[in-house]
Amino acid sequence: MIRASNLSVRLAGKLIVEKLSLQAQPGQVTAIVGPNGCGKTTTMKAVAGEIPSTGELTVNGRDVRSLDPLQLATRRAVLPQSTTIAFPFTVREIVRMGLSTGLNRSAGRSEAIAAEALAAVDLQGFAGRFYQELSGGEQQRVQLARVLTQIWEPVLDGEPCYLMLDEPVSSLDIRHQLTIMQLARDYCARGGGVIAVMHDLNLTAMFADHMIMMKKGKVVVAGAPADVLTDEAMEEVFGCRMRVSGLPAAGTPFILPQTAIL
Amino acid sequence: MSLSDAGKPGARGMMLSSLRAAAAGDRAGLARLVVAALVVLTLLALLLSTATGASNASAIDVVVSLLTGEQSSVLSQRDRIIVFDIRLPRALLGLLIGAALAVSGAVMQGLFRNPLADPGLIGISSGAALGAVLMIVLGGTLPMGLLGFFGGFALPIAAFAGGLITTLLLYRVATRHGQTSVATMLLAGIAVAALTGAITGVLIYMADDRQLRDVTFWNLGSLAGSTWAKVLTAGPIILISLTVLPFLSRGLNAITLGEATAFHMGVKVQKLKNIAVVSVAAAVGASVAVSGGIAFVGIVVPHILRMVIGPDHRYLLPASALLGGILLLAADMVARTIVAPAELPIGIITALAGAPFFLWVLLRGRTSAGL
Repeated sequence: MIRASNLSVRLAGKLIVEKLSLQAQPGQVTAIVGPNGCGKTTTMKAVAGEIPSTGELTVNGRDVRSLDPLQLATRRAVLPQSTTIAFPFTVREIVRMGLSTGLNRSAGRSEAIAAEALAAVDLQGFAGRFYQELSGGEQQRVQLARVLTQIWEPVLDGEPCYLMLDEPVSSLDIRHQLTIMQLARDYCARGGGVIAVMHDLNLTAMFADHMIMMKKGKVVVAGAPADVLTDEAMEEVFGCRMRVSGLPAAGTPFILPQTAIL
Repeated sequence: MSLSDAGKPGARGMMLSSLRAAAAGDRAGLARLVVAALVVLTLLALLLSTATGASNASAIDVVVSLLTGEQSSVLSQRDRIIVFDIRLPRALLGLLIGAALAVSGAVMQGLFRNPLADPGLIGISSGAALGAVLMIVLGGTLPMGLLGFFGGFALPIAAFAGGLITTLLLYRVATRHGQTSVATMLLAGIAVAALTGAITGVLIYMADDRQLRDVTFWNLGSLAGSTWAKVLTAGPIILISLTVLPFLSRGLNAITLGEATAFHMGVKVQKLKNIAVVSVAAAVGASVAVSGGIAFVGIVVPHILRMVIGPDHRYLLPASALLGGILLLAADMVARTIVAPAELPIGIITALAGAPFFLWVLLRGRTSAGL
């Protein structure tokens, strides 16, 4: 379990995250939602150990701040919102980088994992392409494949591993949004855990087990999607009067991911 | 890059299979072949540069003499002195300095995530130039005893110290709460270069004609006056750095994706920065101290190699070391034969040959995968 309690983050003197508590259980997709600038990404960075924070912060019962970067890297992998690279690496070379955390694997096994990870994000045949020549959505999926290889086994030495995904589907088409969210579900089904910063509330309602709704650096409401997504919460957090599960006026087409047959 | 032994079926098969793997995004096999070819070329360059020059000792005589040592009587006494005491230290110094400049360039580019970065960005070159000019112009005012103690080493020591002090100063400015911002370092580097340039300018204004000439030639770089003493003082510093830097390869690869991502992947980013900056400052400081300013090797060599074998630092660093050494030896051979018995400053050759070639590479590479 990843556990934070009374987590606060101060950036340039400003309190960005204030006394936030969250728990991400293995076997569950935990989604963080909220308006732009409410501190979702900062929370994610603090939980990943990337930026300084105060309060209690543990992964599988161990203090995140006392763990070595390499020890952390075998327990959790992080997908940033976007990644620009400085040099012309191929897709295969980038994905293989995720496998360099020092776990002893044979060359053949590493190669197989890289290929499986690319297949999992629907990028078979892309290994020889240059990263910089791919579209934004393809680049995002290459990075996800790299992140997957870093903690390929959802349970390592009896301990669950965690995928931390910052807007994993933000630049994907609707089919790949579903593919990637399903991939996150499968990772949980095999014993790992997922924390994802999300913007699409429909996808969140469909795939998340646990939801945290944030506003101005604080948790407003947390729980199962059915309990969190209420008309009142939508108005309070997003400042938007709307009806959950309301239907649009007749004649306006609307498409919900829930109707997809996977 | 074709291998000298590519005619054998085994070697050709190996080349074909690594080319096929490269097409599938795996350039490791190709990179290993290139490194192997560069090792052969390095040995060739070393041999050629000890065998060419004003004396007419043949290459074979030199090889025999090198292999059998000083006792051999293949070479005349005079040629033996030329080969062992003049050409060999000069060739070794050329290899070491070329390797140091190219590897340092590759490491800086990786650390700054910018293919145009070079050790000049962290103040080494400008600081070393200031140190050297200080010594050339004001060295005469030092007490004779002190100057006599350092002898011919006064200038290199001043340059080395100038480079190191400037780099450490810059590093202090860019480091806050134990975190070094490479962006701040880049900007501070520009400011520091302007400042040292201004002080150097004041010194040049004060200098007399002979000192001006010395300053100009120092800036153009040269391997002339290479001695075993210089090899034995600069060599170990460069060799230690060249041994340490390849250990940073995995981290430098990860930093390509950003510092935060490198941390997520388990890299101790700040420790890597410390080691990289100190090693590069030492290697380049030692190089510049004995050879003066040699431009272009640090940018051109890693760039060309990245286009052939890719940016993976595990192969890029050793390949850069070898190709840097080869190119500097080649440039030095041109420098000392083209206007023989006089010689051109080597910096002129590296820039004169390097710049048009680099432009050609850029024009050609725009359509392919290069940057």
